[in-house]
Amino acid sequence: MGSFFHRHRGLTPWVLLLPGIAWLAVFFVVPLGYLGYQSLQSGTFPRYQFDWAFVNYTEAISDNQEQLIRSFVYAGIATAAALAISYPLAYWIAFRTGRWKNVFLVLVIAPFFVTYLIRTIAWQTILSDEGPVVDLLKTIGLVAEDGRLLATTLAVVAGITYNFLPFMVLPIYVSLEQVDRRLIEAAGDLYASPVRSFLRITLPMSLPGVFAGTLLTFIPASGDFINAELLGGPNQQMIGNVIQSKFLALVDYPAAAALSFVLMAIILVMVAAYARVVGAEKLTR
Amino acid sequence: MTVNITRRQLIQRGAAGITILSLPGLLAACGGGGGGGGGTSETLRFANWQLYIDIDEKTKKSPTLEQFTAETGIKVDYFEEINSNDEYFGKIQGPLSKGQGIDREIIVLTDNSRYPGLMVDEGWLEKLDKDKIPNFSNLIDAQLSPSFDPEREYSMPWQSGMTGIAYNEKLTSTPITSMEQLLEDSALKGKVTLLSEMADTIGSVMKLNGDDPTSVTDEAFEAALERVRKAVDSGQIRQFTGNEYTGPLSKGDLIAAMAWSGDIVQLQADNAALKWGLPESGGMIWTDNMLIPLGGDIGKASEFMNFVYDPVIAAQIAAYVNYVTPVKGAKEELAKSDPETAENPLIFPDDETLAKVSGFDAQALNNQDYIEQWQQLLGA
Amino acid sequence: MSGWRFVKRHLLGVVAVLALLYMLLPIAVVVLFSFNNPAGRFNYVWQSFTLDNWLNWNAAPGIQNALETSLLLAVLSSLAATALGTLIALALVRYDFRARGFLNFLIFLPMSAPEIVLGASLLTLFLNQSVFQLGFWTIFIAHVMFNISFVVVTVRARLVDFDRHLEEAAADLGANELVTFRKVTLPLLAPAILAGAMLAFAISVDDFVITYFNSGSTITFPVYVWGQAARGVPPQVNVIGSAIFFVAVGIMLAQAVVQTRRERRPA
Repeated sequence: MGSFFHRHRGLTPWVLLLPGIAWLAVFFVVPLGYLGYQSLQSGTFPRYQFDWAFVNYTEAISDNQEQLIRSFVYAGIATAAALAISYPLAYWIAFRTGRWKNVFLVLVIAPFFVTYLIRTIAWQTILSDEGPVVDLLKTIGLVAEDGRLLATTLAVVAGITYNFLPFMVLPIYVSLEQVDRRLIEAAGDLYASPVRSFLRITLPMSLPGVFAGTLLTFIPASGDFINAELLGGPNQQMIGNVIQSKFLALVDYPAAAALSFVLMAIILVMVAAYARVVGAEKLTR
Repeated sequence: MTVNITRRQLIQRGAAGITILSLPGLLAACGGGGGGGGGTSETLRFANWQLYIDIDEKTKKSPTLEQFTAETGIKVDYFEEINSNDEYFGKIQGPLSKGQGIDREIIVLTDNSRYPGLMVDEGWLEKLDKDKIPNFSNLIDAQLSPSFDPEREYSMPWQSGMTGIAYNEKLTSTPITSMEQLLEDSALKGKVTLLSEMADTIGSVMKLNGDDPTSVTDEAFEAALERVRKAVDSGQIRQFTGNEYTGPLSKGDLIAAMAWSGDIVQLQADNAALKWGLPESGGMIWTDNMLIPLGGDIGKASEFMNFVYDPVIAAQIAAYVNYVTPVKGAKEELAKSDPETAENPLIFPDDETLAKVSGFDAQALNNQDYIEQWQQLLGA
Repeated sequence: MSGWRFVKRHLLGVVAVLALLYMLLPIAVVVLFSFNNPAGRFNYVWQSFTLDNWLNWNAAPGIQNALETSLLLAVLSSLAATALGTLIALALVRYDFRARGFLNFLIFLPMSAPEIVLGASLLTLFLNQSVFQLGFWTIFIAHVMFNISFVVVTVRARLVDFDRHLEEAAADLGANELVTFRKVTLPLLAPAILAGAMLAFAISVDDFVITYFNSGSTITFPVYVWGQAARGVPPQVNVIGSAIFFVAVGIMLAQAVVQTRRERRPA
């Protein structure tokens, strides 16, 4: 508790908060409010009228069910895959690399500094039909002779997974790093097997990191459109692509606005449910 | 020059403290953003597509623009900022819809997208000053009266292009010359792309069906849409693309693609096995038009348009850009210095070729229902 | 027992290293093709080795401008976001007041909104006012806006585990609040603040979607790459991507080494 600024307890937090919250209020809340206003308009570009057009919302859901479901499915698979890849990696770095820990952490974060687009374009090269990866997979038989990797669901999901890996690795690593080694030693002294002490001690203590990582991956992944655009075909288009198309090609701003809110709302509901299930209150203190 | 100095000042001030010492001054300095701090009284700001003007490889400057400046004293700020009609319009519609200018004298948009027509209807374009464009008489007859601007009051063509089929002859035993092959030949399954531009794809398929794209009826539209949808559902079509077919076509991911005529010269430099041709049932022709957005200086813009309609200048641009020039006499001019290019049917199509291409019905372009159905097909 | 443990121990390492290689694979491709001498405009197929692209890294028109714009934006916006975010984190962790729950939610919201929503709604705001023209400063505003949340989360994580005893000890020794803050709190928070700043910098330099909607005709590096993607990305883009990677690795390695040394020193 704030034992220091005791005299000004009422005022001090607000002074600290003011600049940042003001910035968010003006440049986040207000635009969002206007977007909400626009989502209830109807008419054609550029003359819209505000008339409580809630039908925009129902249409947004009914017209785009396919892409909505697809987006969340892709995001879900990508998050699960990212977790499967990241957890062993984070664990290994936290527990097995000793003083080279920081070096490996750097190697995990550094790809993230290279522009998202450049990394995705690199995947276009790697997965190209005449490239070594497809050749290899064809030889093994995982890909049909006339098959391909680009413009498929696999490519898009793989691309999404890849791009958000650092977001998954880092929070898990941070959690694992804080696990008190002495607890594990103690468990060992009490004859617990390594698997048991992992399941009973390490894993639960890493859950805050897993929680944070899955959120940081799932949320942006569901709104992504770049992977679908560069690595996918017409059957892989996600809700982000639809919103883009409504803003740009259809110039139908109310529809785009409504769809954006639908997306946000669904995400928030899912996150709230997820947090409830995982017992997030304990995890984020 | 000026911009660089201002940036250095910015860095110093930024480093000195987070509080920005003189906000209005900095706002003014950086207000113009990437291109420059706003037009001076003797500058023409010209927004165009990439690779659409002649460039001297050594100096990296455009001879045409340099000559224009030499003759008129007007400097040209050239912005290669247009990548797609949709995206560019999305950016500029905001200020324009409020009656504000966008700091450009000339922008270039395609007449097979809805936007030139939309902008004319909404009054977001300035009228040309025809008195400053005596070379208007050099405009080829075919371009005198487009449906979105019947009196040519707001626009002048920059270049035209044709939409046809490009294919990799090494990857196929028979040449790909018909839309039917693209859509239905199972030997090409999954290795074909179509264009995401509705006018290009639906127009070509309509021609395949024997319908006329210059006058679109609901039945004709639905029939064409259905044919494309079948191809998508069967897995025939890999993707719908804008320019992005070029990469995959060149590296062999695709056997054939709907492609624009000007790209093929570029593509052949990368991969000599690539060929381009109009579909048997006919292709589409589209024109990129110079437009003066609200707030643009009409006088300077008109002078520039006049300048590029001089056959000598037009020949210079045509030789480099590889698209179809709308200027009469350019072919003859070019034949003097470069007879080979002057005979290139892609740049100077003969009447027989021109008879096989059509434009797309401008009304249909702005038909919201059609556009929605098309976008749904694209997956979005 | 020991045989099984041996396998398991190494299995984890193998899986982890494979994962790491997987993460670095595209980067390797980017670096490799930065040395390619493409035949035409497309840099997809290996032709021949050349140092040309590195020597003439700014040969592609517009690339230098775009890069400078991105770097400048990132520096300015990460500074601003770090300052604002740290203050918020301090307030949220150290003080208990009624609106705290709501404010936590508010901070979380920008992170949960898809970029396209943030970008488009901000664009609408900018279009409906006349103080700011779409360009450098609107991008700056956007970047600060979404980075505040990330900084708050980063700094707060450290603040939550903060050992208050040191501050209390300082108070016991007669230091007033401001001095304690300056001499005890701030230095201990510094790594977290720095981490927040670096995160904000990385996110700003990389941002495409929000920037794209709010940039007017200003071109940042990601926007530049997007514009080139359709027509063939020039190898200079690979050069810059690789350079960013190596510089980032260099800086972070240096920092990591320094930190490891500091940790090894007796307390």
